Amino acid sequence: MPEQNGIGAYAAYLPAYALTGTSLDGAEPPPGGPARGVAAFDEDTVTMAVEALREIAAGTPAGRQLLLATTGAPYDGKTSAGIVHEALGLDPGVAAADLRGHRSGAVALDLVLRGGATAALADVRTTRPGAPDELAQGDAAAAFTAGDAAAVLLARAGRTAEVLDRWRLPGERHDRVWDERFTAEILVASGREAARRALAEAGLDAVDHVVVASSNARAAAALRRALGGSGADAAVERLTGHTGAAHPGLLLAATLDTARPGQTILLLSAAEGADAFVLRAGDGVGSARGGRPVREQLAARQDLAYGRYLRWRGLLDVQGPARPAAPAPAAPPMHRRAGWKYRLEGGRCDACGAVTTPPGRVCASCGVAGGTGGGEKVTLRDRVATVVSVTRDHLTTMPEAEVAIVVADFDDDGLGGGRLSAYAADVEPAAVTVGMRMRPTFRRLWTTDAIHNYFWKLRPWGATTDDD
Amino acid sequence: MTTNRMVHDVAIVAMGCTPFRDHWNSSADDLLVDAVGECVGSVPGLSLEDVDAFWVGTQGTGLSGQVLARPLRLAGKPVTRVENYCATGSEAFRNAVFGVASGAYDVVMATGVEKLKDSSQSGLSATLPPADGTDVDWTAPAGFSLLAPAYQAAHGVGDRDMRAAMTRVAVKNHANGALNERAQFRRPVTAEAVERSPRIAGPLGVLDCSGVSDGAAAAVIVRAEDAHRYTDRPVYLRGMSFVAGSGAGLASGGYDFTTFPEVVTAARQAYAQAGVTDPAAQISLAEVHDCFTPTEVVLMEDLGFSERGKAWRDILDGRYDLGGALPVNTDGGLKSFGHPIGATGLRMMFECFTQLRGEAGERQVPDARLAVSQNLGGQPGSSVAFVAVLGREL
Repeated sequence: MPEQNGIGAYAAYLPAYALTGTSLDGAEPPPGGPARGVAAFDEDTVTMAVEALREIAAGTPAGRQLLLATTGAPYDGKTSAGIVHEALGLDPGVAAADLRGHRSGAVALDLVLRGGATAALADVRTTRPGAPDELAQGDAAAAFTAGDAAAVLLARAGRTAEVLDRWRLPGERHDRVWDERFTAEILVASGREAARRALAEAGLDAVDHVVVASSNARAAAALRRALGGSGADAAVERLTGHTGAAHPGLLLAATLDTARPGQTILLLSAAEGADAFVLRAGDGVGSARGGRPVREQLAARQDLAYGRYLRWRGLLDVQGPARPAAPAPAAPPMHRRAGWKYRLEGGRCDACGAVTTPPGRVCASCGVAGGTGGGEKVTLRDRVATVVSVTRDHLTTMPEAEVAIVVADFDDDGLGGGRLSAYAADVEPAAVTVGMRMRPTFRRLWTTDAIHNYFWKLRPWGATTDDD
Repeated sequence: MTTNRMVHDVAIVAMGCTPFRDHWNSSADDLLVDAVGECVGSVPGLSLEDVDAFWVGTQGTGLSGQVLARPLRLAGKPVTRVENYCATGSEAFRNAVFGVASGAYDVVMATGVEKLKDSSQSGLSATLPPADGTDVDWTAPAGFSLLAPAYQAAHGVGDRDMRAAMTRVAVKNHANGALNERAQFRRPVTAEAVERSPRIAGPLGVLDCSGVSDGAAAAVIVRAEDAHRYTDRPVYLRGMSFVAGSGAGLASGGYDFTTFPEVVTAARQAYAQAGVTDPAAQISLAEVHDCFTPTEVVLMEDLGFSERGKAWRDILDGRYDLGGALPVNTDGGLKSFGHPIGATGLRMMFECFTQLRGEAGERQVPDARLAVSQNLGGQPGSSVAFVAVLGREL
């Protein structure tokens, strides 16, 4: 249990692609203009939540909650956080629940800070092609666990303001937006009041870092000005777009990336009211981050052509190959093989030590039966694999002209190795070669019969880690 | 591990094979009736009543022995349906052979059929049981195209040489098919056409892939000592082996995608039964599973025709051309003759049967004495493999 209310560890996940131009006429975007982060066609809020949480959430104790905050869960009705829970291999005693809506990110953060929850804030944001804020929306995830290493909560305050700001009906894809000059007034008033109260409670007149996240860009700008922000948060936002429910988490993560122990942070999220948090960076802030810093991930992104973005999002209906849709998975085998499907657990043979994938009752290497349930389970998801052979599928059922498919062997590391046949992710198919080093990433393979099929793909190693 | 030659030697005394192609106006039933009719009709006095038991191979065209019993209106006969991926036709043959070799039956028939063109999909289709969704949704060409980069890396073969060898396989098999009125594709193709065909998977273009077609084939099998009651040119089964791979090549490390271990084992066993000690020298011709061009490259080594790492060179040298030292896929192969899955294994035997009887016309391999029929299914790393050695003499 943490000593104080606060954040123990955090991580941000930025998808590998950025969109800078949205001209249907092929015009080049002006240099230095805004960019938005774009989740790949095989990513959604669940997969991004897993990628953000995978390095920090393993130790979530039973009795806590795992929360997924989003405006775009892949399922209605079914709890999406349960999939994240399974992929992380959390204790079954950890409850999993979704928080929905534009304010859910700030509320999830509050539940981490004050209730000890573990949370992922993840969103995929789309607009109609050509909408004025098309580049001002974006996709990202941020994740937090409770503790006090990264930050300690000094004070918080919230305001609720029922207002028709951004909304959409069930089944609709894009938010509708009311005139933001009207909602800005309400959000600015809520934000100023929440910030004033939180600062007063914390006994502070000023803070070292001001972080403002608002679904209303006009309100965000006004609040940053009013609170004396440096603009560092706005600079990140200009590269990612407003990432919906993920946004306060993303901007906080970017701030923690640079904060020194003891520095104070005012995080203000203004959506349907406002939530203000006053934090002090913890002594362990420098090592509390999982994965790479936000700015490093932003710098590593690839530019994405607008047409490809539209195809990925299904905003452009493109003729595919004369090939049936990939089959839908079935519930009982998904449940029986959850260890393999969600955590990439192979079976390690008691007799010879080799890893069989998927795990089976009999070792694929030596043929010795390991008894009911097989031998020890070893997870391959955080290990590095080398491509043995590769092909490019030019008749893919995915919204791409071709995808690379590889067979790769995991490093032995004394753990028995293991082999995976998998789709490559976030890489041009032609760039995948025999001998390339890759690492698993959780993705949505396809959706058939309204069943999302999640499994692991392989991503070039350099794109996933900075520790080589 | 050993497999023994059977107690009773067996012979093929009659075969039938429909043309393989887009049979828009024929059903699977029609194709089976045609193939069985040709087969039985080739032996004067033989009727279906004389056949004691039947096997039918099909992957997805129908279920149960009624796939054959219904169209032929067989009354009171045992009919078994078998399936073993693209080696289904060979599996029907193998089980029929056992029916005679065991002494249970005097006369049996093996048939195979597939109707692929009634779907609007390109490529093969299969209905799979409910699963967890973690398998790669490979196309068949994608799975087999893994052979090319792995073979190149293992043997230091450059892109240009590998491409040339694959192209030669396609050009050769289409040239052979052009001489065969039953083949799906009757026009030779140029190297340029092969290499400019639209990409399907990895380095494979459309013309690196076998033809998707409809067809059926049939064989009548009897004990060897009875063979001359039916024909004066029987073809004898000298050796036969089948291996269903454990799938370990995809489930654990070590397999390098340069070979089909299942084929190597099956060939070794079939050769041992047949007394073949030097296949490269003793085999007159071979029908092999050229589902995709790199498959045939690798199979030349797995079957012992070429040294490891040298098949690409032997192919370019013309060793496996119709006029070469060891003609391969003289009827056009899957590439040009077409690949209706359940029928293919029996189609291969049909060509061996035809060649060993000296009835192959323009395609005839002079003095053909021993032929190999090799059929496989699945994908590299997880395949099933059949190899038979057929001879003019016992």
